[in-house]
Amino acid sequence: MSSTTDSTTVAPVRRPNLINNLFPSVVSGIVFGVVAAAVAGVLVNRLTTALSPDGVPNDDAVISAVYTAWVLFFFIGIGAFNGVIKWAFSRREPTYAEELQLAGKDQGLWRYFRYTTDHKVVGMQYLATVFVLFFLGSMGAFSIRLEQSTPGAIYFNPSTYNTIVGMHGILMIASTIIMVSGPFGNFILPIMIGARDMAFPRLNALSYWLLFTAIPIFLSVLLLGGFQTGWTGYAPLADQGLTPGMDAYCFTILVFAISTTIAAVNILTTVIVMRTRGMTWGRLPIFVWGVLLSVILSLTAFPSFIVSQTMVLMDRIFQTSFFLAASGGNNWLYEHLFWFMGHPEVYVIALPAMAVAAEVAAVFTRKPLFGYRLLVGGLVGISVLSVIVWGHHLYTSGSENALTGPFMLDTELISIPTGIFFLVLVGTFWRGQVWVTVPLLFVCGVLVNFVVGGVSGIFLADLPTDEILHGGMFVVAHFHFTLVGAGVFGFFAGIYYWFPKMVGKRLDPALGRLHFWLFEIGFVGTFSALFYAGLQGEPRWSANIAPPFATANTIASLFAIVIAASVFTFIYNVIYSLARGEVATADEWGAKTLEWTVPTPVPLENFEQLPVVTSLPYNYGSPLPESPVAPAADIAGAAIEAPIQPQGEA
Amino acid sequence: MDTSLEHTHELEPHIRVARARAGVLLLIVSDVLAVLAILAAGGYLRALNTEGQYKIAGDYAPSFLSGLLVMIALVLSGLFYFLWERRSRKPGEAGQALFFLLALVLMLVAGVSEALIAAALRYALPIHAYESVQLLVIWYTAVHLLLAAIIGLLLGGRILRSRLAGHEFIAEVVGYWWYYTVVASILLWLFGVYLT
Repeated sequence: MSSTTDSTTVAPVRRPNLINNLFPSVVSGIVFGVVAAAVAGVLVNRLTTALSPDGVPNDDAVISAVYTAWVLFFFIGIGAFNGVIKWAFSRREPTYAEELQLAGKDQGLWRYFRYTTDHKVVGMQYLATVFVLFFLGSMGAFSIRLEQSTPGAIYFNPSTYNTIVGMHGILMIASTIIMVSGPFGNFILPIMIGARDMAFPRLNALSYWLLFTAIPIFLSVLLLGGFQTGWTGYAPLADQGLTPGMDAYCFTILVFAISTTIAAVNILTTVIVMRTRGMTWGRLPIFVWGVLLSVILSLTAFPSFIVSQTMVLMDRIFQTSFFLAASGGNNWLYEHLFWFMGHPEVYVIALPAMAVAAEVAAVFTRKPLFGYRLLVGGLVGISVLSVIVWGHHLYTSGSENALTGPFMLDTELISIPTGIFFLVLVGTFWRGQVWVTVPLLFVCGVLVNFVVGGVSGIFLADLPTDEILHGGMFVVAHFHFTLVGAGVFGFFAGIYYWFPKMVGKRLDPALGRLHFWLFEIGFVGTFSALFYAGLQGEPRWSANIAPPFATANTIASLFAIVIAASVFTFIYNVIYSLARGEVATADEWGAKTLEWTVPTPVPLENFEQLPVVTSLPYNYGSPLPESPVAPAADIAGAAIEAPIQPQGEA
Repeated sequence: MDTSLEHTHELEPHIRVARARAGVLLLIVSDVLAVLAILAAGGYLRALNTEGQYKIAGDYAPSFLSGLLVMIALVLSGLFYFLWERRSRKPGEAGQALFFLLALVLMLVAGVSEALIAAALRYALPIHAYESVQLLVIWYTAVHLLLAAIIGLLLGGRILRSRLAGHEFIAEVVGYWWYYTVVASILLWLFGVYLT
């Protein structure tokens, strides 16, 4: 299928020195970006001061110039444009040696700090970033629970509290959007479909480093007075926010949305074009379907988000009036544009995590996935419906009363394809040879928590009950059961399942079980208490809780300590396993998808010869399992030779 | 992980073509949705006419004639690109560089003109909703056109270096974006005229 270059085309290895290592790299990117940001800030400050009749600089314009320069020059510094310039103006095509250099060959750990194109490197970069964002977001959550543990102000004033809530929200939403599709979608997915890399390796690096540049922009919120709108950034409050922290919020969203769109185009193209022979649409692993549908939703939903934040920035910088009623704008416009992204985004998060749960369930019940086609249909149904339900977020806004009925109907329709997911999962467990591993425990967590999230959502889909519950803690508990229950639990199922393939070490199963039980108990305890507080009438946008809600909040805060303990258990497990963990085998779980047929660590281009797929990867049922890969393409033979149950799990 | 013994594998030509086509078409889909969001936002604000302030006396539209000239330039740019691309896709023919040059220059001129039209608008503060939508439409178009011009410059580099042979699909997929940019710009301009 493909030609292989001989070793003579590989350039001689140069002995790297410090300058070679630093340029181009993230270090030179940061230096370029910071210097350019400072220069742009000074220049635009002077320019806007000169142009202003009052002699006052336009802070929003200055901040926007600083962020734009930071992003642009970071990419110049890290060498992102080198490939583009060579593509256009070089006298020849890049050699294989140059392509390999770009993919991180012989660069050791430095390749993780460069504009490296290898999809596995990008996957690991995403994974590390997810850990950092998730940890920061968790600390925000813990701060919120601390503040709300007893009535009255304890640590924060209302403005700071609002900023913490908003930062927690955005950090968690962003990290859960990329939590599965970023690390596993980049590292695992191409191998799963039998590809040597993503369709656009350079775009792959671009999408990650855009995400990276958004992080300092977002953290600068703390230096710029915070933002008081909460994670939704509702206008016109966003227009009127006096602190430039709001600009940081808008810019973060813009950069993040562009990064996600690029990643979506790349993943979608990869699945459409790069599948190996025999990997028909009907044989795609269910995880690939989940990620594929998730990125299709991203591609559909994020443009309206980009437009909404562009409008807010225009309102703030140029004094336009998209959202200011006094000048003919309208807040409903923001709400429509935001929730046209905001509701599908829930499924951008949930679909890949649900697919991980189904993938893992089949492996550890040693059964074919029950109703594979039914589940694919269900996931497609969820995707389609999720784009036409955004109006239920506007029930109480006073807009579009005539559409309330249709929005209620289609919102409730989503419970049908979602129910199919539960049916498939239970059907897969039914009479399976259940091997209770840590990934499977988290799948059970998805099953339990996501049901609670889904059922409680029905009350919010119905206008009569939503009128009462909207804006209260019930909503907070509902969406945490949905996003954490499906998204984060699904991610943990995935990380315990694929960590051995990605890192080459096993996560300690005893610590993994401790992590699961602490997380599940802490999570259910915290948000069940908040369900109760919501039913009692506690509003969600309130820094200081009122005495009638004190007991429920104290209980929630105590259980939050258990969640914090689970987070630290997980961190310890990762660090311990990296340092002293057992070395993983090529096929750690006796699974049949293609990623388990390649050696661990995975070679730079994954496959020596591309495999030929002959069936779905879930044929566990027969006494002598038929390999889903044709014998001629059996590279590692790991699917047959690997132990069914590794020692650590026995 | 030691990567010293790694070697690389070449992608098959048809996969290169297919991924280029798919990637550009998906980007266009994403951008179409952004354009639709702008059109929907403008139409929504016009329909709501909040507090009767959507468009007030004194609000004015961008110059119609300037906009029309930019659109004519764009249509010509699309036409010249088509003429060049049709020839460049034939095996053994490099296309007529003059057509490409004309297409690129017209795109560049259109982009700069659109930016100048936007900069010439001296709306009084605070800018009302109608004028806000006009500004967004014009600036979005200007950015679109300049982006297409940058892509054209990169493609021009390959033409100058005679590196299009064997990669004719690049002319084809750039064409997708080029034609889309022309159509989207005309659509946005017509929308601006309709709002007026």
